[in-house]
Amino acid sequence: MATTNFVAAQQANRRNTMLLLTGLTVLAALFGYLIGWVLQSQATDDVAPVSSFGVTAAGALAAASIGWSLLSLAFGSRLVNAMAEAREIAKDDAPQLFNVVEEMSIAAGVPMPRVRIMETEALNAFATGTSTSNASIAVTRGLLDQLNRDELQGVVAHEMAHIANLDTRYMTVVGVTVGLIALIADMTLRGLRWGSFSSSRSSSDRKSSGAGILVIVLLVVAIVAPIAAKAVQMAVSRQREYLADATSVQFTRNPNGLIAALTKLAAAAAPFPGVSRATQHLFIVNPIQTFTAQSSALMATHPDIADRIARLRNLGG
Amino acid sequence: MTFWIVLGIVVLIALWLIMIYNGLVGGRTQAQTAWSQIDVQLKRRHDLIPNLVQVVKDAMGYEQETLTKVIQARNAAVAANAAGPAQAAPAEAALTLATRGLLGLVESYPQLKANDNVKQLQEELTTTENKIAFSRQFYNDSVASYNVRRQSFPAVLAAGSLGFGRMELFNMPESEREVPKVALR
Repeated sequence: MATTNFVAAQQANRRNTMLLLTGLTVLAALFGYLIGWVLQSQATDDVAPVSSFGVTAAGALAAASIGWSLLSLAFGSRLVNAMAEAREIAKDDAPQLFNVVEEMSIAAGVPMPRVRIMETEALNAFATGTSTSNASIAVTRGLLDQLNRDELQGVVAHEMAHIANLDTRYMTVVGVTVGLIALIADMTLRGLRWGSFSSSRSSSDRKSSGAGILVIVLLVVAIVAPIAAKAVQMAVSRQREYLADATSVQFTRNPNGLIAALTKLAAAAAPFPGVSRATQHLFIVNPIQTFTAQSSALMATHPDIADRIARLRNLGG
Repeated sequence: MTFWIVLGIVVLIALWLIMIYNGLVGGRTQAQTAWSQIDVQLKRRHDLIPNLVQVVKDAMGYEQETLTKVIQARNAAVAANAAGPAQAAPAEAALTLATRGLLGLVESYPQLKANDNVKQLQEELTTTENKIAFSRQFYNDSVASYNVRRQSFPAVLAAGSLGFGRMELFNMPESEREVPKVALR
């Protein structure tokens, strides 16, 4: 059934968001426990696995991760739009863009999102929103000037797919997960380097080997955890892009529009000033990276454009 | 003990039936909403066409055959629209064809394409045509999944008597897919 595709994608994303939130909280708590445990073992030379420091630190980090997720869901969209300088427009400012967004909201069966424009020559677009009823789609001025109606429709349909599939909310939570883990890992490594975990006042031979092993475990976790989390985020992000391309064609029934648009976006040379790494994964094509084979590497936010076009050609039959 | 097991099974079956019933209600509501969206766009097309025809007529200085055809098709569609999806479909399909002829006419006359009023109306009519197509697509997808749901077991046993009738697809006749011929003089 044609409609069940993105209804199923929505359900999967809802479930994944909950799983990820739970996983994040557990991971942050475990990380916190490990830090507390190491601190206590350093202070008291006691490596007993039940550590009151650990429990306190675990609780604090779990609370922080839940609070941060809720905050970013509440204010994240506004912040991203402000950072990208995406200004909300009315129908009279760009009637064709407005009409195309309206067409795609009808095809997707979701409420009309807000429409925004970024005043730059670069060709790009992104969607934000934590539900289908408070979403918005932003495109650049360059995109508006250089794409024809069918191409614009393909790009808007891709963004509408992110909204209908609830990718926007999912990626917000994923971003928070990775950010928090990176932050804790960074603080831990700094702490280890400055010696707050290791021997400072007292002589090291007073410590048991158990405490030393714990420090090494903590060091390994602090190095590996953020890299693994980042790789998961990027893999999820690339998968979401493929799905949004496919859903876009389901809406427009015209793969050629998006194919032509992606070709133009890949060829466009205009740089996108003021885009930070924090928001790069939100755009239809990566605004920072160049589109070579390296973008299909482990840490790429987006699949290679040539690969996306090839998949779209397959859909066209 | 046996009593509790039987009670548990009864409760589970009741929950299952409630879910099926709610699914049918949801599917029907989605299809009805989708139909009202088609209806909005069809009415909008009926309102836009006389404006565009008038502007084109003024710009060209004479009444072209394409224009009379569009107006005729539009009036027939307005009359058929009140009767529901099955009756409206052929008239709206004919109007779609006539509208494409009108848009083709505008495309082929440079003095029309340069006219700002025409340009604006052309964009509005194009988007309305697209919205009709996309709302029809969404309506048909919704109706198809609703019809499958009401015909699935066990819903099929009670769907009819609970008032969940079969819904009609909004099909446009085959001729609509032909490329319209633009009459040029």
